[in-house]
Amino acid sequence: MRDLVQNVYQAKDTDSILNLLDQYQDEAKIVAGGTDLIIQMREGNVSPPVLIDISSILEIREIKEEKNTIELGSTATFTDIEKHVFFNHSLSAIAKAARSIGSPQIRNRATVGGNICNASPAADMLPPLLAMDAMVVLKSKQQTRVLPLSEFITGKEETLLKSNELLEKIRFQKLNPNEGLGFSKLGVRNALAIARLSLAVYVEWDENDMCQNVRIASGALGIKAQREWDVERFMKGKCLNNSLFAEVAAFLEESTMKRLAGRSTMNFKRYAVQGVFKQALDEALEDMERRMIYEKGSF
Amino acid sequence: MRKAVFNVNNKEYTVEIEEDLRLLDLIRNTLNLTGTKEGCGEGECGACSVLMDGEVVNSCLVLAFQAEGKKIETIENLDREDGTLHPIQQAFLEEGAIQCGFCTPGMVLSAKALLDKNPAPSKHDIRESISGNLCRCTGYNKIAEAIEKAAETLEKEESDSGTARRGTK
Repeated sequence: MRDLVQNVYQAKDTDSILNLLDQYQDEAKIVAGGTDLIIQMREGNVSPPVLIDISSILEIREIKEEKNTIELGSTATFTDIEKHVFFNHSLSAIAKAARSIGSPQIRNRATVGGNICNASPAADMLPPLLAMDAMVVLKSKQQTRVLPLSEFITGKEETLLKSNELLEKIRFQKLNPNEGLGFSKLGVRNALAIARLSLAVYVEWDENDMCQNVRIASGALGIKAQREWDVERFMKGKCLNNSLFAEVAAFLEESTMKRLAGRSTMNFKRYAVQGVFKQALDEALEDMERRMIYEKGSF
Repeated sequence: MRKAVFNVNNKEYTVEIEEDLRLLDLIRNTLNLTGTKEGCGEGECGACSVLMDGEVVNSCLVLAFQAEGKKIETIENLDREDGTLHPIQQAFLEEGAIQCGFCTPGMVLSAKALLDKNPAPSKHDIRESISGNLCRCTGYNKIAEAIEKAAETLEKEESDSGTARRGTK
């Protein structure tokens, strides 16, 4: 028989969440949008005795634009992100990733914090946030920890979140005019598609077309959403031209074949990854150009 | 069990609920508002769509206790005080946007969520708004056309009432 939920709380502020987590520790599970958790509960995969609802707390839902950074409250929904002025105008790859998730109904409830803490290998928001080198701010009654998102996600549905901790917000640096971010996702249809493969590409290019810095993150290309460090090292310091692109595509194909060896999806992903990469890279370069034009125009 | 107060269709209900009761079950089984349907039970089909504080959500993916203090609106709330249908419902009938009818309450509420915020939606906006509602009968074209027609009717009503208001000044 299914274990029963014994206590539920609709938390009113961050402090009350932290007190409840401190009191119940492992017994408690946080629920925000519920779009993953409620399904897992009904399938009997999780049966928390205590549920703490954090979806009504506005202080951790805010998207804050500071001078150089963006702070994304963990209960910001995908609708919040998709419609937010900053993401629409200045970092459209993030708005695009948010828009690619689920349906309006799902996006109205599902939160960025839930996407991170569930840590599905196919989570749509992870690649762009990883490519932005985002940090997660974790709060407990005793302390606040700040970790790189890439360290926080440790495996398939595994993170470093402790049972008394709340993911409060996600923080990353805004981009300069010579930087750009692109995101591309391969799904089976437009609405409600779970990513079969997604890539986010961040680039910093200098005036001589030299790749100064690059961060690439993948979704559904292994056991977790992850940075593609080897590809990044390969690209850094090289000039952008067609031969570089062909070399990177070949590199990606080879690493995909190694990583997915023995899986039925390897045969299509080894080719798909190259196209998805091209789209994400093109978009990152377009994003960078837009930002440069905007910068010039504002003088 | 816990005692909880819900605001559904502008009416307050005080009921005893199980801690893990879904909003969908509260609406259908506790409050007997059976216009809301259960299809897949996992957020794919949108048959259970309701409005929560004006936003369309899948009521199968919301726990009832999460909805305490929120305004819930179901399909039963749409017809007007004089007993006539809401223009969205009327347009669905006139355009032949209903066949078996199982998806209809969800479709109508998704359309309402759209038109409440965006009275003059593009064809793309309309398709996007119902992208979380599956229909296995109509093929969607008639539904999209019905929403377009409803938008026109609502806009006309709005401008007529505006004219009327101005006229009485």
